[in-house]
Amino acid sequence: MQRSTTATAPRRRRAASRGTIGLLLLALPGVIWFLVFAYGPMAGLVVAFKDFNVSDGIFGSPWNGLQNFVYFFSSGDAPRIVVNTILLNALFLAASMAAGLLLALMLNEIKGHVTRRFGQSVIFFPYFVSPIVISIILQAILAGVGGRGGMLNDFLNVFDLPQPNWYTTPGAWPWILTIVKVWQLGGYTSVIFLAAITSIPEEVYEAAALDGASRARMARSITTPLLLPTLGILIVLGVGRIFFGDFATIYAIVGDNGTLFPTTDVIDTYVFRSLRTVGDFGTTAAIGLFQSLVGFVFVTAAVLVQRRIDKEGSIL
Amino acid sequence: MSTTISRRGFLALGGTAALSLGLGASLVGCSPSTSGSTSLSGQSLAILPSTAPTGWNTVLAKFNAGLKKAHGFELNAQFINWTNYAQQSLLKFTAGAKFDTALQALWLNMAQLQQQKALVDLTDHIAKWPNLSKQLAPELIASNKWSGHLWGIPQVNSAGRVQHFSIRKDLADKYGIDSIQDFDTLEKYFYDVKQKESGITPFAVSSNQTFELAIGPQGPVGLFDAAGWQNPTQYFNTLFAGSGLYFSFDEAKLATGTADPVPFWENPQIVDTLRRIRKYYQDGIINANGLNADSATIQAQFQAGKFGGQWAITDGTASNALVALQKAVPNASLEEVLPFGGALTSQKPLQTFQADNLVVVNANGGDVDRALALQDYVSIQENHDLLAYGIKGTDWAPTGENGVKQLSSYSFPGFALLWRSKLERRSSFMTDSEKQVFDWAQDYGNFTKATLASFIPDVTPVKQAAASMNNVITQYANPLYYGVVDVDSQLSKLKSAAASAGLSTLQNEMAKQVGAFLKAQG
Amino acid sequence: MSVEARIDTLSDLGVEMVLDEIRPKAAKAPRRRPDAFQATSYVVITIFSLFCLIPLWMIVAGSFTDESELAAQGYSFWPAPFSLAAYQMLFTGTGLLNGYLASLFITVVGTALSLTCTASLAWVIARRLPGISRPLTIFAYIPMLFTGGLVPLYLLVTQVLQLSNSWFSVILPIMLAPFLIFVAVSFFRQLPEEILDSARIDGAGELRVFFQIVLPLSKPILAVLGLFYAVTYWNEWFMALLFISDPDKFPLQLILQNLISNVTNAASLPGASAAQAAAPVYQLRFAMTVLTIAPILFAYPFAQRYFVKGLTLGASKG
Repeated sequence: MQRSTTATAPRRRRAASRGTIGLLLLALPGVIWFLVFAYGPMAGLVVAFKDFNVSDGIFGSPWNGLQNFVYFFSSGDAPRIVVNTILLNALFLAASMAAGLLLALMLNEIKGHVTRRFGQSVIFFPYFVSPIVISIILQAILAGVGGRGGMLNDFLNVFDLPQPNWYTTPGAWPWILTIVKVWQLGGYTSVIFLAAITSIPEEVYEAAALDGASRARMARSITTPLLLPTLGILIVLGVGRIFFGDFATIYAIVGDNGTLFPTTDVIDTYVFRSLRTVGDFGTTAAIGLFQSLVGFVFVTAAVLVQRRIDKEGSIL
Repeated sequence: MSTTISRRGFLALGGTAALSLGLGASLVGCSPSTSGSTSLSGQSLAILPSTAPTGWNTVLAKFNAGLKKAHGFELNAQFINWTNYAQQSLLKFTAGAKFDTALQALWLNMAQLQQQKALVDLTDHIAKWPNLSKQLAPELIASNKWSGHLWGIPQVNSAGRVQHFSIRKDLADKYGIDSIQDFDTLEKYFYDVKQKESGITPFAVSSNQTFELAIGPQGPVGLFDAAGWQNPTQYFNTLFAGSGLYFSFDEAKLATGTADPVPFWENPQIVDTLRRIRKYYQDGIINANGLNADSATIQAQFQAGKFGGQWAITDGTASNALVALQKAVPNASLEEVLPFGGALTSQKPLQTFQADNLVVVNANGGDVDRALALQDYVSIQENHDLLAYGIKGTDWAPTGENGVKQLSSYSFPGFALLWRSKLERRSSFMTDSEKQVFDWAQDYGNFTKATLASFIPDVTPVKQAAASMNNVITQYANPLYYGVVDVDSQLSKLKSAAASAGLSTLQNEMAKQVGAFLKAQG
Repeated sequence: MSVEARIDTLSDLGVEMVLDEIRPKAAKAPRRRPDAFQATSYVVITIFSLFCLIPLWMIVAGSFTDESELAAQGYSFWPAPFSLAAYQMLFTGTGLLNGYLASLFITVVGTALSLTCTASLAWVIARRLPGISRPLTIFAYIPMLFTGGLVPLYLLVTQVLQLSNSWFSVILPIMLAPFLIFVAVSFFRQLPEEILDSARIDGAGELRVFFQIVLPLSKPILAVLGLFYAVTYWNEWFMALLFISDPDKFPLQLILQNLISNVTNAASLPGASAAQAAAPVYQLRFAMTVLTIAPILFAYPFAQRYFVKGLTLGASKG
């Protein structure tokens, strides 16, 4: 016994290390890329602690400690925009995840090949519409030419419902933006879930049908558990970005319309507007660094929570 | 000369060549009649906005043939589209890219770049170039100096820039309104359009105008400031770049040497204007979506005949809208209205004569002699026309004395490199009304130079307050400019927000700087 | 037994194991009435499809509608009066052919690079190797949060790597997306462990397992990754704006962005030609969107082919 273990052990160890080297080689190109293109430029983060001067460049500018961070916190608007950022991102994340999951589950129920492919394609395309065009269409729906009422208000008029001036009603906008986000991302997210669903063989569903399970039950007990790890990862990733506002979409739609700022102004749009002309590179870097650090804290917490709930599916 | 030069020898040769280049350049500078110095070489890279015109390569080749013969170097242009120009040009300066010139302006990042020593001081260079000096009026140069230094070549196509109304003359004629010379008649026109035309909004406002509707940018009046039009020399407004907050100065007080900046909401004329805008919004005189509608969309709607008037400025482009407008409304015509209360020359509005666009030279790797040689070269009519309009006969044809008729779709952003008031040609579809206004705007004598004409506020000491204030203005003042909210309640919100965003800091700093400026002027 | 034959047997084994968990083999079930969830699904999918389709239809219809009508109404559901003006503008004189070639190169080369690096890195993370996978996870995640910004990237690409004016300056900075790496990790972790263990016991090395077992089984996720990456590369214009100055090398999206920006501002440029002053801005924006989405129309069916059920099992019989 002793001899056979010793005989095989070195062979297994060599096999193991050969395998590991092979795996390391697999990972190497990716690692090199990260080092060069992701970690290399990160050295530029030092500018967050400097009084940046165009002539001196990043590394020649003088240090100024935490001065750049003061601007954001001393403005008095900080609590509101931080709350807006987190709230809007949480809404967007929850809505797009729920929409993606439900759409994937329901697309799975569509029998016809052509119908299903058509459905998949149609819900996927909104992702590619640029924010400016979204803004134009939204204006056609909510404001109309001349701004006195668009398609939606015409529709409400038919039912004698109140027709507010949407572009001066801040309260409605978190919901309007969420709907836009679901439109944009629902299909995109569902594709990710669909890839996981396709690995479930049809026989499994047939067998469950014989067992008397309704499709809803099957979706709940067979499909969803297999999608939970993916859902978990998407949520964790989304939580990490919760401090980064969706600048492109929000700025294209809200622009400089101050009446909507109480509910739609997020960190990124606020910083963009303030520093548009002043152009202070140090301050923008400082705020970006702050967003990254907070996101890091959030994501660490989220990973820990996920490990508690579902250790197998945890990312770490 | 030996054909085999050792590397060290070559470098030494390069060194002496550079030395002689430097000497050559200064020698050239000393003799004003020299044109055709061949001591410059290489390519002058200009950062320009917009995109390369169609047929650019042909035009550039022809241009460079002449440029190389005259000065020994060639032009190369890098175009960055307008939407990204501000960010990209700042990035190029920040990252130390190698280029000679770029378009910059106060509304871009010129103040910041100058303070951080990224621009070359051009004050003493202009005189060396004869054609350039001839084309730049002395008032223009004087007004564009910041504390006595010139940091960019001003690119202007008129002396004064006055924003005004471009209205549908065909509609005015329909209501029997002959010529509109004062604000009351203009208002009558607006209300006539509202009452008599369904589906046409009297006046178009778009999201990029903001303060221009109520506050005169650095000079004459806010668009709807009726009292201001009657008296365009009383108040002068200026701001710290990036703060959004305009301070009003009483010209009479400035003349006595008193620096007393008041925030714009303490200027009764401006508050009256805000109330008027609010009334227009409620009465449907202006479109209700001004805050969000971008200018291209509004322009498209104006050209489709949906508006009775739109914003214009005295830069010769107001008639451009007529081309598409006449497709939608065949008998449409435009008129430029400046409601001074009399003829055009009845008032001499305040002006700073500061250029909205300047060509700056990169201090970090730009060749100032090459840059200015290029500026000098395009100050000659044929060269200017070649680059600005294309190849004569193929891309454009001259009309009349100083007109241009575009034959192809060549379109060059002249204000980024070669605008010269006396060389610019008028587009062939310029209306008579606009010609009259544009001619009036060419003469420096038609304007009053503001006391603070060459004063550029330095925002560095109050950088953070300026950034905070910008947010307050965008949030609370923008709705006021478009009349979407009740004036009094919004003003009180604006005042309290401004107070906590550093109003007093900005006001005191402005008073200090203006005081110093006035004292220095004597 | 060859490894390939072994895989087939293992695949069958995989099916057996899954089915065993549910039920022993039974006779084929008779046809059932469509149940409530299925019906609901059809309804919901139809509604959501309409929700997505209507704005898309507005865009397509708008791109064919004459500018003055579009500007007057603000939107269009039916292209009347019909106008090809925007498409004419886009297809003539903008060097679109060069743009297509550039975008094609960037997309094909970029997707190939991205796919290989993403899959291989994701596999190493998914394997949960002690001392390697966890640090790699954190290593790959941090750049999702922390970024040095535009200026350091610009300096890196132009001055350190000297890639200015090269298509690789567009491909390389966006080559790996941590988000997609982790999506791939999640998928890899769900592959049945037993199949892999059996192959290893049989002597197949790690690399062999990856290339000959894992990748064939991962066609759906590779299709998804390929699709997402291809779409990102096809639509990328900002990197090109930063690094490419030669207009003949502009990718398609940058040409379109420039055109839109130019036309939007052209009317206010003096000396504008009559054609420019009357450019159909409204219509052009919609036409541009159509041109952007159209290639996806071609790419998506390719990816959808891999979304066929049961692909992972019985794929390599015989």
